[in-house]
Amino acid sequence: MEQMKITNLTDEQISFQLILHSGNARSCIIQSLRAYKEGKKDEADALIAKAEQDLSAAHDIHFQMIQKESGGEATAFSLLLMHAEDHLMSTLSMKELVKEMLDLFKTKNI
Amino acid sequence: MKKILLACSSGMSTSLLVTKMKEYAQSIGEEAEIWAVGQDKAKEDMRKADAVLIGPQMSFLKSELQKEADQYNIQVEVIDMMAYGMADGKKAYEQALSLMVNQ
Repeated sequence: MEQMKITNLTDEQISFQLILHSGNARSCIIQSLRAYKEGKKDEADALIAKAEQDLSAAHDIHFQMIQKESGGEATAFSLLLMHAEDHLMSTLSMKELVKEMLDLFKTKNI
Repeated sequence: MKKILLACSSGMSTSLLVTKMKEYAQSIGEEAEIWAVGQDKAKEDMRKADAVLIGPQMSFLKSELQKEADQYNIQVEVIDMMAYGMADGKKAYEQALSLMVNQ
């Protein structure tokens, strides 16, 4: 995935980037479970891998924000940013859980 | 009057996009009613819309929502990634208009 440099973005766009990538990942995770339910195990794995790519893009933006802050230039706090963080964190938990679930289903042959 | 419904999981991020889309519509002198709702209210509100745009976190619900939207003969589409990621009101507005061409 193409790397997005946050230096070219407004604070608002940074939040939108976080929500975009977390949101794409969230959709892929749910689709992955649905694919597994239909017996499409490879597709389920591919969708989780796709979700991980989006989460990694979100992480990368987050990392740049932390670096920027430690350089003395903090991203302004807003409810939108908090909302974006919420999206990212909940999607991360969701991904971990669904990955474990798929693994469990596979070992139990279901 | 063009009526555009935006939906995302809580209706928060899209609310901001709505503001930007309205600003753009106004700047080109078009009258438009644009509003945002959370995912639970999307099905109920779409009867009043000419086009529905959904957030990326809801793209997995697209086919389900489109089925509902077929009743009203309108289109549901996921907001363009560039438009959403850059909070680009102009692009999102133009995308919504492109969904109305067949009406």
